[in-house]
Amino acid sequence: MRELLRPIAFATAACLGLAVLLGWGKPAAVVGLFLVSGLAVGSLYALGGIGIVLLFRATGVLNLAAGAIGAVAAFVTWQLGDWGMFAPLTWVAGLLTGVLFALAYGRLIAPGLSWREPVIKGVASLGYALILLGLVSFLWNDDPRKLSFPTDAVSLSILGLKVTVTRLIVVLAAIGIVIAITVALNRTRIGLQMRALANNRRIASLVGVPILRVETVAWGVSGLIFGFTGLMFGSLVRLEPAVITFMVIPCTAAAIAGRLVSLPTVLVAGLAMGVIESLLTLADTFKAVRPMAPYAIAIAVLVVMNLNRRLTFAGDD
Amino acid sequence: MTKQLKLAATALGLILAAGAAQAQVTCGANTGTAATGAPILVGGIHGNAAPGDFSASTQAAAAYFACVNANGGINGRPIEYLVENDQWNPELAAQAASKLITDQGVVAMVGNGSFVEMAVNARTYQDAGIMTMASACAVSECFESPSIVSTNQGPLASTIGAAQYMVEAQESKNISCIGLAIPNVGPWSCGAMEGYMASKGLTGSSVYLNPASPDVNSGLLEAVASGADTILVNLPAGLALAFMKAAEEQGMVEGYKWASSTPLYDRSVPAALSDVWDGRMFVNAELTPWDKGGPDAINWLAVLDAYAPDAPRDTFSQSGFVSAKFFVQAMLALDPAKLDDRAAVNAAIKGIVGYESDLLCGPYYVGEADRHMPNHAGTMVVVKGDGFETVRDCYEYDSPYFAPIFENEKALGLN
Amino acid sequence: MARQANTSLVAGLSAAILAAFGLPLVLGGQWTGIFTSTACFAMAAMGAGFMYSRLGMVSLAQVALMGVGGWVTLRLNHAFSLPFETNLILAAVVTSVLGMLLAIPALRMRGLYLALVTLMVAGGLEVVFTAYQFPNGGAGFWGVGTSFAAEMRRPVLAQSDGAYLTYTLLVAMLGLLLIMAHRQTAPGRAWALIRRSEAAAIASGTNVTFYKTWAFGLSGLLAGLGGGLLAGSLGLLDASSFRASESILLFALVIVGGARFWLGAVIAAVLYRVAPGLLNNWGVDADLALIFFGAALLHAVTTAPDGIAGQITGLFRRREAKA
Repeated sequence: MRELLRPIAFATAACLGLAVLLGWGKPAAVVGLFLVSGLAVGSLYALGGIGIVLLFRATGVLNLAAGAIGAVAAFVTWQLGDWGMFAPLTWVAGLLTGVLFALAYGRLIAPGLSWREPVIKGVASLGYALILLGLVSFLWNDDPRKLSFPTDAVSLSILGLKVTVTRLIVVLAAIGIVIAITVALNRTRIGLQMRALANNRRIASLVGVPILRVETVAWGVSGLIFGFTGLMFGSLVRLEPAVITFMVIPCTAAAIAGRLVSLPTVLVAGLAMGVIESLLTLADTFKAVRPMAPYAIAIAVLVVMNLNRRLTFAGDD
Repeated sequence: MTKQLKLAATALGLILAAGAAQAQVTCGANTGTAATGAPILVGGIHGNAAPGDFSASTQAAAAYFACVNANGGINGRPIEYLVENDQWNPELAAQAASKLITDQGVVAMVGNGSFVEMAVNARTYQDAGIMTMASACAVSECFESPSIVSTNQGPLASTIGAAQYMVEAQESKNISCIGLAIPNVGPWSCGAMEGYMASKGLTGSSVYLNPASPDVNSGLLEAVASGADTILVNLPAGLALAFMKAAEEQGMVEGYKWASSTPLYDRSVPAALSDVWDGRMFVNAELTPWDKGGPDAINWLAVLDAYAPDAPRDTFSQSGFVSAKFFVQAMLALDPAKLDDRAAVNAAIKGIVGYESDLLCGPYYVGEADRHMPNHAGTMVVVKGDGFETVRDCYEYDSPYFAPIFENEKALGLN
Repeated sequence: MARQANTSLVAGLSAAILAAFGLPLVLGGQWTGIFTSTACFAMAAMGAGFMYSRLGMVSLAQVALMGVGGWVTLRLNHAFSLPFETNLILAAVVTSVLGMLLAIPALRMRGLYLALVTLMVAGGLEVVFTAYQFPNGGAGFWGVGTSFAAEMRRPVLAQSDGAYLTYTLLVAMLGLLLIMAHRQTAPGRAWALIRRSEAAAIASGTNVTFYKTWAFGLSGLLAGLGGGLLAGSLGLLDASSFRASESILLFALVIVGGARFWLGAVIAAVLYRVAPGLLNNWGVDADLALIFFGAALLHAVTTAPDGIAGQITGLFRRREAKA
């Protein structure tokens, strides 16, 4: 718990500090609007980051195709809806698509790379991202589309900003997923096995952890998260294949800020990234380049984390 | 059995198509006999890859050229239309121009549609003495170069046109323009809109969205903070829809007047918008509305039905059709012996003055000038039901930006 | 072994010189452009390749650094009337310094984490390039005007596209020789030691900080040269060429090409620029081309651990062994 308090304190201090600094002399209501507005985008970064970290811990693969998998899920959902299918069924189908495409990579392609170093595994997944991006762009032309949910129409007011239930769901889902996964990792057998794998793959396999099964579960669950993130991106950001595919890079930033280890930190960092990005709108100098915020934060976290470290013996990280 | 049915259906379709083509299509010399001479090489470059598809203009130009070739060609010589795809990649764009101009030796470029091609190749065209009759332009270089003339208006003219309508017909006093944070697109066009507002003693401001940013809400809040009464969306359709969705969530649709430049004039847009936008979103159309009618408008659709049934039927398609038509008109007037002479073709295109089409609101011309923007009169439509309704037919835009263009027109004896 | 490497180098160099002067004679305008781009990206690929194979360090910012080199070249070209070479060298130096800054985290990180830091830098640069674009002769620091681009001066010796291709290939060859020279002198030995064990390197008195920084600087220098030459080839640049995903893709292709071999960088660049050019020429739909490309990438990474260059080298070795 203490470990979690530090990132929360840092993130809150950074967000509030920036809000005061940039919002000085502006009405508090305006600053509040930007703050709340940033939370939704931030939770999208966090969601993507959570899926990436979960998968990385269990399988050692940094999945750069996360966004592409989400894009496929979002477009399948849209298409089924367009064909007039019952809405909840389209959502389920979209999520299952995410699971399916993640499993396809995890079971068919990832094993061929299992003995390579993490960077190669990560970079290779870009190949899968390109395949999916090409596929989605080929199947769906570039007509403007919109993915809506019934929750888009219902909203409540927070700090003067109307927040739709969809946005609220994203924030709550991010928090809920982190809690659920943390509990599962600590309480269930497969969670234990996952932690064992994450700590030391070789020893875990020696003591009889069923690697294939654990990895399959990890791919499936991460696929579900990627699918959900894709649907939310499609609804809250834009339903465009290239946009959703390459959202994986800021999501990776959130994952990095959690050192690719801690899911709660990923959540906190993701939210902070969204809020800071939104607050930068108030600064004329940084307005044009505010999407840089996640990258700058990720670099800062990595550098600070490693400040007192010295590399001595050769190793993986 | 099915196969036979299919065959029969295809045959019937062909007969119908042929019948339709003979009945309605008018192309070039309109002789009804196919051209058989040595081909005249004409190039075209479009962008079609992941972020979007701008190929409608070259498809329409290709359809028109095919129709011309079936109807006598240019004095008996067919046009061989060579089309390249720049895939939104500046290097591919430069290579495509090299291929067409250096390797294949085209005499002119017609129907180009891209975001990147014109910026990269403007100088190439000038150095090679090639005139480019573009159709789907979006960047400043396209309108401020000596060797490119575009049939469409681009974001600048379209944005000014939308702002002008909002000021004159909807009593807007303070407009906030939402543009892309790309210097030769957003700041260029929104900046000119601010200039227009200033020239009328009104207020204009701009908000720029970085296309890499997933967050459009902040841009919306920024526009609201500017105190505007009207929000003018000047974004590609996908981003525009996201922006409007954010406004909808904030319940800001009713509190503001809304306008947009051409990208929202797209058939699939009304269906993607919810009912609150009905009768509220005013969109500028660069060419005349698709269903307006008129000889060229009918011919455009007939040519597409006959020669490119699968091609989209949108503004860029109209634009490509008009570019191709005017090119053919200029070539038919040129001395047949000079059709392969790049300099002569270049001069003939630059000599185009006062060509007219009911797909355009004003006359088309090229002329010798350091900038070209012949199309600066448009139509205003409003989102209504599952389509659009015209609220103001053909009107001329007026803004300080057009001063040098009006001067060119005066010199050419237009206006 | 050493001799074998030398023979292959001599063969490679003669082939490269032949290519530099021969290619422009046989290629048309389009392919001259494609090969010029290829040579530019080959330089960036060489940088990524040697860092990975010699030091085990992954840079996922090479294409973004090319953007920096291109930006500086264009900026200088439109601000002063210096000759092309001066602009190019200054751009390479600036990029190299920026590359060295990347070495700061590298002193504390390794492997995936280091790769991700460079990826974040690439992501940040992508945002800056999109927002401010590349100088085209306009006013102000960012130098972006809305009218069409001012003239980009090319080298006095290489005004035509063909001559410019020769010029670019020769510079790329010099870059390759620069890396070769490093490998066989003090830095190469220091790098080898660092890769094996940094503790051992420190114990034996090797200045780890200096040699790591040097490697990043060298790799940045090559990227800067590549970017500057690309700017000279096109006359102006566009942010879309330097996205973070392009940097990842180039590194992936370096692995496919074979990071340990000089031929690997060439293969990487050929796959990066010539293959899409061919597919485009054959009229393959851009989206389908992306699918083929992604599939080929996955296939090559999974089946050829030493890259294509490794397979080619292996083929020759086996043949020699038989004879």
